[in-house]
Order: sequence, then C-alpha cells, then structure tokens
Amino acid sequence: MKHAFKIFSLALAACAATQAQAADEGAAFFKDKTVTYIVATAPGGGYDSYGRLVAEYMQRNLPGSTFVVKNMPGAGHIIGANAIYASKADGLTIGSFNTGLIYNQIVGAQGVKFDLSKMSWIGKAASDPRVVVIASQSPIKSFAELQAQKTPVNFATAGPGSASYVETVILTNTLKLPVKNLTGYNGTDDQLAMRRGEIIGSIASRSSYSTFIENGYGRYIAQIGGNDKDVPQLSSLVKDQKALDLIALVQSQGDIARLTAGPPAIPADRMKVLIEAYKKAMEDKELQARAEKLERPVEPAYGEDVAKAIVKALNQSDETKQLLAEALKSDKK
Amino acid sequence: MFDVMFAALGALVTNPQTMGLMLIAVMIGLIVGATPGIGGRLSIALAIPFVFGMDMTQGAVFLLTMHAVNGTSGQISSIMFGVPGDGDDAATTIDGYPMAKKGEAGRALGASITASGVGGIIGAIVFAVMIPVLEPIVLAFSPAEFFLLAILGITFIAFLAGGNNIFKGMIVGLFGMMLATIGMDPQTGTARYAGDYLFLWDGVSLVTCVLALFAVPEMITLAVKGGSIAAISMEGVKFSYKQIFQGVMEVPRHWFLALRTSIIGALIGMVPGLGGSAAAWLCYGHAVQTSKHPERFGRGAVEGVIAPETASNAKEGGSLLPTLFFGIPGSSGMAVMMGAFLILGIQPGPAMITKHLDLVWTLIWALVVGNLIAVTFLLFITRWVAVLTFINATMLVPFIVVLVVIGAYVNEGQWENLLILLAMSIIGYAMLRANWPRAPFVIGLVLGRIAEESLHKAMDLWGLAFFTRPISLVLIGMIIATIGFAIYRSRKPNVLDNLQVSA
Repeated sequence: MKHAFKIFSLALAACAATQAQAADEGAAFFKDKTVTYIVATAPGGGYDSYGRLVAEYMQRNLPGSTFVVKNMPGAGHIIGANAIYASKADGLTIGSFNTGLIYNQIVGAQGVKFDLSKMSWIGKAASDPRVVVIASQSPIKSFAELQAQKTPVNFATAGPGSASYVETVILTNTLKLPVKNLTGYNGTDDQLAMRRGEIIGSIASRSSYSTFIENGYGRYIAQIGGNDKDVPQLSSLVKDQKALDLIALVQSQGDIARLTAGPPAIPADRMKVLIEAYKKAMEDKELQARAEKLERPVEPAYGEDVAKAIVKALNQSDETKQLLAEALKSDKK
Repeated sequence: MFDVMFAALGALVTNPQTMGLMLIAVMIGLIVGATPGIGGRLSIALAIPFVFGMDMTQGAVFLLTMHAVNGTSGQISSIMFGVPGDGDDAATTIDGYPMAKKGEAGRALGASITASGVGGIIGAIVFAVMIPVLEPIVLAFSPAEFFLLAILGITFIAFLAGGNNIFKGMIVGLFGMMLATIGMDPQTGTARYAGDYLFLWDGVSLVTCVLALFAVPEMITLAVKGGSIAAISMEGVKFSYKQIFQGVMEVPRHWFLALRTSIIGALIGMVPGLGGSAAAWLCYGHAVQTSKHPERFGRGAVEGVIAPETASNAKEGGSLLPTLFFGIPGSSGMAVMMGAFLILGIQPGPAMITKHLDLVWTLIWALVVGNLIAVTFLLFITRWVAVLTFINATMLVPFIVVLVVIGAYVNEGQWENLLILLAMSIIGYAMLRANWPRAPFVIGLVLGRIAEESLHKAMDLWGLAFFTRPISLVLIGMIIATIGFAIYRSRKPNVLDNLQVSA
C-alpha cells in the first residue's frame, strides 16, 4: 500500500514538473547525496590536485552534497576511465582522466572499455599546450636546425601506449624528424636524462617542463596550441597537409585538458545541475588563484562544447587513423 | 655560511607557531606511517589544501617533517606483528619480528626507532655536505649504473639465504624477478602475463606481496600454535624502559654500521630513479654481507633492524636534494612535495642556494628536529606498545588479518589485489613451513624491475659499450668480488668465522 502511494505521488510530481522545475529537482536530488569523483591516477600529481580542487568547489556550489575523491590509478588512466564509464548513470559518479585516451580509443587499443563519444561531458578546466624541448647543452637552437640534423638525436618518451608516446611518435614520423625515440622514461626520468646529456629532446606538455626551462636546463623550439608568444607554433613551421592534420589533432588534445565527465546517459536535469555547479566552481576567484599556484591556469569550457570537441577529435579520417596505427606499429620492437 | 646556518636553527626553534606545526606534522606523519598500505605520498597530497595560504617556510617545514618521520613509525607493526607497512619496512621485519618472538620487542623497537632517528639526522648532514658537489654526483648515475647497482643488490641474495640454503635463496630470488616481469613492458608496451587484467599492467603490487609473504604466514603460524607472539611469558622479561634502553644502546654499539648504511641510504635517495625500497634492501644486504656472523640474520639479529631503518630515513634527506636544487623530484613522494612547494611559492632550482639559502637550512634543521621529536615520542610510548606482543593470539590475529587485508586493498584501491594476497599468502606459508628464505623474493621483485628497465635504456643508449663506463667498471668489480666472496665463504665456513670483514 505504501509502495503504491509512493508511485502515485511520484507520478503526480512528474506530471506537475515543468522545465523550470526540472532543474530545481535536479538540484534537490543532490541534497544529502555523496558524489564520488574518480581520479584515474594515484594521489599527488597534476590530475589528483586538479581533481581535488574541482571536487571541493563543485561541492560548495551544489548545496547539501558531499564530494568524495577516489583515486583509481593504473594502466595509464584506463582503469579509472573504465570505472567512470561503467558506473551507474545517476550523476553520483563522475571523474577525470587523461584526454590522451582519445588515441587509445581511435586505434582500438587493448583494455579500452569506454566510448568517449557517449560519455556525459561536464567540462574541462585547462589547456595544456605541447612543446618540443631541447636540452640546453645541445647546439640545436630552432626547429629548422633540428630538421637539418644529419644523425638522429635521442628523444625520450614514456612507455608505448601512453599519450606522450603516441604524440611523439606520430609527430616525429610524419614530420620525418631525424629523431630516435627512446621509450620507458616515466615521470621526470626524461628531464634527468636531458641533464645528463643522454637525451637531447622531448615532446611533452608545457606545464611539465616549465620549471625545467625556468632553471635554464633547456629551451622550447616549437609549440602546439596555447597563446604563449615566446615560441613559434609548430603549425607555422610545417607545410605538409598530413602533418598539419596531425598537429591539429594533438592540439585538440591539449585544448581539452583536465576534463570532468560521467558515464553515458545521466538524466538531463541532473547534468544541467552538475554543469552549473562546475561552471560556478571554475568562475570562483579562489579556485582560479589556487589553480594558478599549481601552475595550471583555468581555461574552462563546459558541457556540449567539450562533447563536441571530443567527438571531433575522435572523428579522424581513415588516413589519419591509418597513420596513427602505423606510427604505433612501426616503432614496436 | 655558518651565520645563516644557525640563524635558521634559531628561527626554527624559537618560533612557537612553527614548532607547533612541526609537532602536529610529526604526529600525522607517525600515524600515517604506522598504518600499512598508506604511504607518505598520500599524506602530502591530502595536506596540500591546508598549506594554501600558509607562510612559505612554515608550509614547507610542515610537509617535510610529516614526510620525513613517516618511515620512523612503519617499523612498529613490522617488528611487533610481522606486518610491514611497505616495501622498506619488510626488510626490518626479517629480523625485527623474530626478536619480538623471543620477547625482545622492546629491544628491537628501541634499536629501530633510534636507528631511524640517527639515519634521518645523518641524512640531513649528508644533504648539507653534498650541496656543493650535488650536480656531478647525481649526473654521474645513468641507467647503466642503475642496472649494475641493481645486479649488485641481487647478488646479496647469496648472503641472505645463508650457508647451505644458497640454492633455495637463488630460486626464491629468481621467482621474485620472474614476478617483476609481469605487467606492461616499459620499452615495448606489451602487456606481459597480464592479458586483459588491467590491474596487472603496472606490475604485481609490492605492498601486497610483502604483506602476503611476511605477515600472513606469521599470523597463520601464530593462530595454529596459540599463545602469544612473544614465546615467553611476560613475567619472564623485565619489561620496562630498561629493555628499550638496551635497544637504544645497540645503535652506538654498531655505530660504524649505522653510519655506513645512513650514508648509503642518503646517496641512494639522492640519485633519482632507484626508488625507496631499494635503499632499505641494499643496506640490509650490506649488513649481512659485512657481518662476521651472517648466520644470525633472519633469526633476530639487531643489525638487521638497524641497517634498513637508518637507510630508509636517511634517504629522505637525500631525495630532497635533486627536488630542491634541480626541480627534478627523486621519488614519487618528492614529486608531490615539489607540487606543494610550487603552491607555497618556492621555485625549486639552482637559484635556491643563492636566493633561499635560509630556507634550505631551515629545511635541513626541520629534518633534524622532526626526527628528534619523533624518536623521543616513540621511545616514550614504546613500553606500552610492546606489551601487545604478549596478548593471546586468539585476540590478536583477527585484528591483524583485518589490518593486512585493508593494507593490501587501500594501497592501490583495487580489489583484485586481495586475490594476489590470497595466492601469495599460500606460497608464503609454504615457504615458511619448508624453511625457505623469503627475503630474496622481495629483493628480486624490487631490483628485478629496476634492472630490467635500466638494462633496456642503457642498451638503447650505448649498446654493450655501457659496461665500459668508469663507474660501471667499479660496480662490475664489486659484483665479482661479492660473488667470489660468497663462493669462498660457502666453501670454507670455519675460516670465515674468524675473518675480519670490514666495509
């Protein structure tokens, strides 16, 4: 009897709901609820600090809710992304992972159990332009000088399958750079190897190299994306259309860094509330100041805009897909 | 130089607010350290929100002290219950737990806590001394040297296994090295022995293996046997500060060993890439190798407690060096620390010496003072803690098993690790019953990974020519000497007992 009454009252409520009220209901839903924010890395590091920042300020802007950060590290963010994708689509589980997983999905890499085009996109917090870095001991001063090298120089990258590896390999292969890619340099191994002189250069995110460059250990010779004026854009140095397409793909990765997403098909009213809370969090001066201190200034985008960017990045021409797959295959030993 | 040095100390200890923060940091660091499965990295990550807006010096002192004393409390559960908190503590378990079984938990804790403090302080001194020569030393170690250092560490297995067990030791060590190959190949990106099980891609969890191999078998044994961990009754032991004090005095008695292992630990910490657990295990191996009575190890030798503890605390001072002066963190914990430094407005790099020398000295003193506070506090409470080893097994075992299971889970947050815990526990118990050495397994697992990865890198960079680099040649010499010494000793055990062995 009680049950029937519950259904009846729910139905009544549903009938009475108008568009405007839908959002209110969405907001009411999160009252006294716990939202799990999954971070696909171990505690510490960029993804974790950003995730904790986002969770803290979303909680403030979603009255009555409690945000809990859960670290799910492993398999280069795939474990965390799979977990977010497979979670219940009630809006109570969202999270963050490396945008580079787009590559894994495009080439159909092992372990991927998510479809980024179907996920519920809440927003992205930053841009992380890529740079070509050269160690300061090297005589190479510009991109043209790198291209003109007679013998291949050593570049370092993380393990195959990682976003850093994919980007380095597709760019060096299509640009036909005289570069030998050495793998297995995780964390800051590459920076130390550049200090020792074993490694001459690297293609990486600008934020991970800012301290290194400020200390005078290296120089940027080209950049992909971002508004920095201290280094030429790689796209201005290259003529080949194939290469330009790939540069554009890498740039789209950098543009949508530090993203927040949920599993597919979160109810629209709840998504609206989540995006609203995310937006308020991003506009919070205090969050902006704190992100600035993490050396990762806030450059947000929300909901649909991010979803569109993701779909666009996933929809590569067969030729590009081929290039990606080849790049990944040709360098495997 | 000296005026800045002592001005920094003065400013540190006379500021009640900073000292108050340090006390809080020491307490948090000790609690986190004593809980299996949660590392120091997590505590810094969680503390970051609190340091926003803190004064630069105070924030840095707070985080550093918290991190530095983490290893000081980790040995408590290793010694008392055979439950190591992480990879470094496992080395302490090998001799610490047998001491507890003999009713000497107080002595073992006294020695290990003091050793931690001494290691931390010597680590800080090494830090200060090394500043001028940091660059050439750190940059001298490349993947080629890492590979040979790892191989040197692996050869210590010959000593760890003890006399007639050398083949058993090698089998166990190779088993560890075999498990080290599970996961994503760092060079080719192929998932080895992992298939679609993503949790295996990053390799077998070290913490889980260590808990399964050391803690669980001991708890099963205890449950089967009944009674308490300490095999003698409580009345039999003069359980007081006296026993703890005896332990404390073991450190000055073995001062030369403590000094050596502290310096080795600090140097390993200084060179990014070798990882924390390597320091404790290399130093444990060093202690066994240089002992006149290596057969006592594994049965409750106090040196086996002192060596890894000095090393694991000394490495904190060492690992701060490249973080602070190169802006290149030496460990994952230090990577988080560096993020926090940036938040506080500290820009790590060579300019630290010219611009922030006062801060550098404050941090060195914070390492010293923090370690002193931690040691004093722990020695004070140890008396009551050590009594737990006399509790009846039926009351104790369930709690510890829960602690072990939680530890295995929270470390990576993956339930699959519980399956590994179960499987490895069975192997561990079998090894214990059959009297096979378990330490070589951890050495194989820890150093096997480093050896493989650095061999790949070194071959990529130089081909076989890497063997002819100057430091490589020295290390190869040490490896040959170690093997030769092991063979010599296994052939003529009696002669060796009278042989004076020095470092």
